[in-house]
Amino acid sequence: MSAPPLSLKINTMVRSIFSSNYRVLVSTVTVMAFLTIWEIAPRAGMADATYTSQPSRVIAAGLEIVRTGGFVRDVYASLSEFTIGFALAIGIGVPLGLLLGRFLVLRYLLDPPIMAIYATPHLALLPIIVVWLGIGMQSKIAVAFVGGIIPILVNTMAGVRGVERSWVVAARSFCAGEWDVFVKVILPASLVSVVMGIRLGLSRAVLGVVVAEMYQSQAGIGNEIMRYGSEFRSDYLLFDVLLVSLFGFAATSAVRALEEKLWTAGK
Amino acid sequence: MKGIAGWKSAPVLLGAVSFAAILLVWESAVRLGWANPFFISQPSAIAASLSRSARSGELWHNLAVSLREFAIGYGLSVAVGIPAGAVAGRFRTVEYALDPFLWFLYSAPLIAFYPIFVLWFGLGVPTVIVIAFLLSVTQIAASTLSGFQNVNPGLLRAARSFGATERDLLWKVVLPASVPMVIAGLRLGVGRALMGVVVGELFGATAGLGYSIAYYGALLKTTDMIASLLVVVVLGVLCTQGLSALEARFDSWRTGPDS
Repeated sequence: MSAPPLSLKINTMVRSIFSSNYRVLVSTVTVMAFLTIWEIAPRAGMADATYTSQPSRVIAAGLEIVRTGGFVRDVYASLSEFTIGFALAIGIGVPLGLLLGRFLVLRYLLDPPIMAIYATPHLALLPIIVVWLGIGMQSKIAVAFVGGIIPILVNTMAGVRGVERSWVVAARSFCAGEWDVFVKVILPASLVSVVMGIRLGLSRAVLGVVVAEMYQSQAGIGNEIMRYGSEFRSDYLLFDVLLVSLFGFAATSAVRALEEKLWTAGK
Repeated sequence: MKGIAGWKSAPVLLGAVSFAAILLVWESAVRLGWANPFFISQPSAIAASLSRSARSGELWHNLAVSLREFAIGYGLSVAVGIPAGAVAGRFRTVEYALDPFLWFLYSAPLIAFYPIFVLWFGLGVPTVIVIAFLLSVTQIAASTLSGFQNVNPGLLRAARSFGATERDLLWKVVLPASVPMVIAGLRLGVGRALMGVVVGELFGATAGLGYSIAYYGALLKTTDMIASLLVVVVLGVLCTQGLSALEARFDSWRTGPDS
């Protein structure tokens, strides 16, 4: 078989490079355009930088925030609240979801209250959680927990229910006990939905911590955001908001990567 | 495993049982002195508080304020989100251009912009509407986008080979085929818009359900606070159930799993 002519080869190569980079190109151009307009508009007098801020000002504010000592303390407070609350959500949500998925009576009993909480905006619980647990770390941990556990619970339940019945039957016919079926068939088969629940719960938990800190707190990124807001320092506020968004995006992307790996491993 | 779970009405029956049990345990725990009503109140007191605020008109006023904000914010996000998602689903360049902004809005803690929004739009109703709008518009646009992109290529090929024009394709194939995804986006958007309204009101408002939760919370009047919270829960369940029913209706014409 003769090789295709070089010109054709180059042609397809160029086209494939172009199409894979097209997304990056277009996205970069629009983001750059947005940032440029944002930077220029206040300079040209078309907008008031006190209200809209500017990319250069946000960067300057960020450098200053990072240099001051309080920043590390706030990040540490927010991160530990998030970690404890979300770890509790996983530690309780996954086993409970597995149980509810396995035992029908239990599910019928608990499904309506769970669905009612699912349909409720979980941040509406903030004031009552503050009354119960005070304005310290406990209330933030509780909000992260409540925000995180519901998607984990619902998706784990759905994952267990979605396990192919014939696999269970096959395992049983090879004399697998109830426990073997659970550990060796149901658990691995529902793993993908469990991880998906964790991904959905993650962003809700991040939001929960920040908003709870904005509502009532003594430390944390949300506390900073509220302080900068009341002082009308939009540059500082935007830097903190950007930081939280990046954290949420990075953590979600990491879990999504895990999810895709599990998908391909499961095939 | 058969037993109760095998009955046809088991889900409804057991669900009702669990709600009744929760109310019973809650009420009797307080009456028997096991739990402090200051923290958890009690169902009978909450019912009394609800009927009191219904008679005084406070409940209806707060409900009307919240519903109006919700309707405007959600209505705007439907009006913007569906066309934006549709155009992005149809034209690759638009999708790539919108993508970074969509993910930022989606993963940003939008409520953290609240102080800036107050600067831009003023305290109260306008800010609440903007937060509700931004929270739900990303969801609606993203679902519409994926609905438009995931139209079965077989259907498109079939229509083309019967001489359908681009216009026919859009109206007769792409739009109907993406309706279920669009409605799924509308359902998810409802929850987010409601969240935006309630949380926006929690932070700065002079009326509304979220405001009354925060107001009674600050006064440590647990009973009145839980009563308002309950109204929010009912509202959330009604909205989600309503759109789930709509979704089921629009989905019923599908015959195969792959269409």
